[in-house]
Amino acid sequence: MSMRGNEDERLDALFRAYRDACPDPEASANFMPTLWARIESRQTFLFSFRRMANAFVTAAVALSIALGAYLTIPRSTPAPTPETYVEVLAAAHPLDNPDIVSPAMHVDLNGR
Amino acid sequence: MLVDFELIKRAQNRDSAAFNEIVLVYRKRILGTITRLIARSEDVEDVAQEVFLRLYFSLDQLRTPEVFEPWLYRLTVNAAFDYLRKQRRRQEFRMSDLSEQQVLMADATAGSKVEHEEQAKKKVRESVDSLLGAVSEADRILLMLKEVEGLSLKELEKIYKVNENALKVRLFRARQRVLKAFGAGGKKEGPG
Repeated sequence: MSMRGNEDERLDALFRAYRDACPDPEASANFMPTLWARIESRQTFLFSFRRMANAFVTAAVALSIALGAYLTIPRSTPAPTPETYVEVLAAAHPLDNPDIVSPAMHVDLNGR
Repeated sequence: MLVDFELIKRAQNRDSAAFNEIVLVYRKRILGTITRLIARSEDVEDVAQEVFLRLYFSLDQLRTPEVFEPWLYRLTVNAAFDYLRKQRRRQEFRMSDLSEQQVLMADATAGSKVEHEEQAKKKVRESVDSLLGAVSEADRILLMLKEVEGLSLKELEKIYKVNENALKVRLFRARQRVLKAFGAGGKKEGPG
């Protein structure tokens, strides 16, 4: 118990000695100029970052508006696609070419 | 308070002259605290500038000028903590260092010869730095603020924004660890 108390006292003494061994130092002549240079450098960085962020936000908004406009513009509906073979043929060869539309419709006038 | 509220308010409104004045008033104290917290004189100015840099950019977040000093201490503690965490080059806790430490402590406290005074101070600094290797960076800073800077628990409560009992427990544990290391050094040295 007393040994622990003794160690406590010695540790306190060491801390006091440390306090005396580390007095408040004087700042160098460059302290303030360097500090202001660092402040200005950080300000410049923050300013350019803010500008970049603003530009990015503006571009994103413009892109969103353009995309929205593109999606909302009504487009002409495409013609319905033919579904059967006959309809495909009819579409490819209009009715002014009857041979193709109905090739088996020839009548044999001689009765053969 | 070393500065009046009006000056702080002016600095909050980006008045460079007011900010300059605040720095000039607190500079020496902050440099001293950082010297004792990080124990590396070559980096003290750099860390102090970081503190004032953070102060400059966060001054508008300070709601009441009354809490300026604890707040500045908090910035100091955070900057010192960041520095120590980055460094991570604390010496390993060595028994041989401790045995030497206690001899040196006796020299330093009893008043050694004038010609050895500076040398003894340097060794005390190194010894404490080495001894505090037994605790984390955060506990090291807390212990330093209490034991070396002499801050009260009330002041620490304002800086850390935790209740007094939690601080007491943390301080007690940190001190016990340091004491254990301190005692281990003494035993290693032995009576002979």
